[in-house]
Amino acid sequence: MATLSLSGIRKKFGAVEVLKNIDIELEEGGFLVLLGPSGCGKSTLLSIIAGLEPASGGDILIGGRKVNDVHPKDRNIAMVFQSYALYPTMPVRRNIGFGLEMRKVQKPERDEAVDRAADLLQVTHLLDRKPAQLSGGQRQRVAMGRAIVRDPDLFLFDEPLSNLDAKLRVEMRTEIKRLHNRLHTSIVYVTHDQVEAMTLGTKVAVMKEGVIQQLADPQTIYERPANTFVAGFIGSPAMNFLDGQLDVESGKPYLRYGNSAAESLALPDLEQDVSRWFGKHVLAGIRPESMHFGSEGGATLSGIVDVVEPTGPDTHVVVKLGEQPLTARLGPRARPKRGDRITLSVDTAAVSLFDPLTGLRL
Amino acid sequence: MRGESQTLSSPFSPPSGWRRLNPAWFLGELSETRFWMYLLLVPSLVLIVGVVLYPTLYGVELSFQTMRLNRPANNGFAGWTQYARMWGDPVFWLSLRNTALWVTATTIIEFCLGLVAALALNRDLPGTKILSVLILVPYFLPNVVAGNIWALLLDSRLGVINDILVHLHILDGYKAWFADPNTAMGAAILVEAWHGFPFFALLLLAGVKGIPADLYKAATIDGAGRISQLRLITLPMLRTIIAAAVILRVIGLVNSPDLLLILTQGGPGRATEVLSLYAFQTAYKDFNFGYAGALSVVMFILLMIFAWGYVRLSKVNED
Amino acid sequence: MAGTRYRGDLAINVLTYVVLIGLAIFCVGPVLWTLLTSFKVPSDIITANIVYLPTQFTLQNYVDLWSQSNYPTLIINSFIVTTLTVVICLFTGTIAAYAFSRFNFAGRTQLMLGYLVVRMFPAVLMIIPLFILLRNVGLLDNRLGLAIAYTSFLLPLFVWMLKGFFDAAPKELESAARIDGSTRLGAMFRIVIPIARNGLVATCVFVAIAAWNEYLFALMLTTSEGSRTWPVGLQLMVGEFNLPWGMLAAGGMISIAPVVVLFAIVQRWMVAGITAGAVKG
Repeated sequence: MATLSLSGIRKKFGAVEVLKNIDIELEEGGFLVLLGPSGCGKSTLLSIIAGLEPASGGDILIGGRKVNDVHPKDRNIAMVFQSYALYPTMPVRRNIGFGLEMRKVQKPERDEAVDRAADLLQVTHLLDRKPAQLSGGQRQRVAMGRAIVRDPDLFLFDEPLSNLDAKLRVEMRTEIKRLHNRLHTSIVYVTHDQVEAMTLGTKVAVMKEGVIQQLADPQTIYERPANTFVAGFIGSPAMNFLDGQLDVESGKPYLRYGNSAAESLALPDLEQDVSRWFGKHVLAGIRPESMHFGSEGGATLSGIVDVVEPTGPDTHVVVKLGEQPLTARLGPRARPKRGDRITLSVDTAAVSLFDPLTGLRL
Repeated sequence: MRGESQTLSSPFSPPSGWRRLNPAWFLGELSETRFWMYLLLVPSLVLIVGVVLYPTLYGVELSFQTMRLNRPANNGFAGWTQYARMWGDPVFWLSLRNTALWVTATTIIEFCLGLVAALALNRDLPGTKILSVLILVPYFLPNVVAGNIWALLLDSRLGVINDILVHLHILDGYKAWFADPNTAMGAAILVEAWHGFPFFALLLLAGVKGIPADLYKAATIDGAGRISQLRLITLPMLRTIIAAAVILRVIGLVNSPDLLLILTQGGPGRATEVLSLYAFQTAYKDFNFGYAGALSVVMFILLMIFAWGYVRLSKVNED
Repeated sequence: MAGTRYRGDLAINVLTYVVLIGLAIFCVGPVLWTLLTSFKVPSDIITANIVYLPTQFTLQNYVDLWSQSNYPTLIINSFIVTTLTVVICLFTGTIAAYAFSRFNFAGRTQLMLGYLVVRMFPAVLMIIPLFILLRNVGLLDNRLGLAIAYTSFLLPLFVWMLKGFFDAAPKELESAARIDGSTRLGAMFRIVIPIARNGLVATCVFVAIAAWNEYLFALMLTTSEGSRTWPVGLQLMVGEFNLPWGMLAAGGMISIAPVVVLFAIVQRWMVAGITAGAVKG
């Protein structure tokens, strides 16, 4: 039985339609990430699941039970906020146990549950402090403690790591994953950070302007993005889009991206069936990491080096193929010079072709 | 630090030769000196020292003197005479009690009304702006007008409130609110509360707007109802503002007898005689400056003790 | 409060409106009643059965008050005193507020606190010495004298409010001006004051309203018609001459008209200044 089932969810604020027909199923123990840029509706969707906002249409089922009109406190959910939302005038112990206190759980039971949660998140030594005396990471843990103490069916996380600095963010990300492995509770997690989405989620819903662009596991989203938006959103540096014409030679497809015969890319290992697109304009999506220095293999690109950015573990090289720029992620030893001509070999199994008009994957 | 304007001609400097005579230039040059910031403060400091500090100290000095403007023969240093007299003056003690009653009741009513107003305004429903301006009106009305408005409303023969209350069968006949010692204080408290609650509403509204919305969302999910949220989130977080508002308001109430001066002049029969009123009347009607000075000094000291005590109390409560 | 929109919400919204409208009636009702009274003929006011709406609409109360009493003089006096007070505060207080806002010097916090504490001094404590002092200087029963007396409690308020507004103006602009060759004085006048203009106006209006409304000091420190202000004059007419309710109401309405107009104009900024100052204090 699915823990969470959203069917046909719509949301309007006045005349503005913020969510347009959302359908999602989350299986038990799953980790669903709602990923997208600001304004795509992911936080609104989370609020609707929580019951803080009513949907304008559609049904929400939690644990098989229809909860459209059920008060948040009766939906058996818990939420962790971006600002942590810890009650500033109460000590940590009361913060964590507040939900139990409101449900009239007796003190001994409450204390036991709080102690267990605090132990799990390693905040036992902080139980008598007030939130103002805690660091950002500690507050984050306390907020999570408050969520797990009631043992709900569903956890909701609203961009919980956005307020932390980079190093802490990585630590806490691992912490959340560890928690998920341990508790096996279903999670819905909202973020705009695609690294978090890829590392944490079992299922990712990429959203834009109130519509789910693609709902799939991280691997699929990375390797087979459904459209150019998803393709460009996931992966850093972003996927390159090469504009060209798809031609066929001896039964094998290749992309002509420039005017001369040399400006073409053979696509021998392409997964997609693109026979209907021969002779038409396409967008070829090539990830920076699927290009290598050198010319082994049949698929190569050649251009002039424009910018070289060494990052330590890699070197990002912007190459100009005619007028079109291409970013390649090469190894740390690669040190091409600006103005040099460079040849890159492409792993064409990882190339995705898109329709330039609709942006959809072919 | 000033750039090259001294050698180049700039819009800020007049032609040389006349320089020293131009006050604007002179002040400008002066503003670059180290003493500029102190110079800026001098005019207001002079005023404050002259018009506030000096009179206050003089007032304290007066309290140690006998000074009756209409009986100058006895004027002179009197030591603690005035204070001794105060100790044995039953009107003084009565006025203290009245002040305590008046201030406490008014502050509590104003706080409650102000809190209700602030919470209601915070919901930001359509029309809130106009309603908030209307609610602010009593606070900015002059005391003279406010007092007389209510004198008419509660008049024993012409008061509209009396009329309404009789129609609602709450009263049997018109009441002389300000003539009856039992109700005069209550009526005065009502008027003062009407006048002052917008102050609380303003401050509390500002405070409530500063509470993050996420806290209420978390509380909703945790299962706290609206009353619990008010009790456990809103009020604790407003503690500092409430303290500031209460202190400011108490000080204002104790210090200024304006409304009572207009409504009751302390009557009937000293039922509404508060300390500030007593002190004022001693000066204004009896011309007994010495005793009035002593009364004011005592009032001031009591006020300072209250303020200090209240601040300590609320700080202690926080931990 | 971010609540849920289930059935409870509608009830709360209705309750909110009930409360707000009730409070608004409570606040403005008495003023409206007085306004109505000012337009009633005496037979409508002094009756055994209360008349709610005027049977006849008349402006006679206003005319009588204006022509038969010295009300015009009172208003003019108040106007002069208020203007003098605002001018004094403007010149001495603006530069002080600027100094507090822009400069950090030894004793700054203590001095600021001092300005604040001065507000707490009881009026009655200062009134008597002020009476004697002004009498000695010959400024008793004098409009300038009264204005100076007003600054005793209005100047600290002026400085305090204006400082808040100055604090909100960014300092970088003055630094840029000084690099361009302006003196500190020039920067103060050409840059900061124009930016804080709204705050300056609001603070001046607040002080003006307080001076216009003031009763106690005026009562003590003016003795003759030459310098008496309208609050004292009006109340005197009530007490000594048994001013008829209609004319009293008219007098009240005349005097609060300027306040209402000024208040409406600057209301938003004033509220911001008061709350910001009190919250930080």
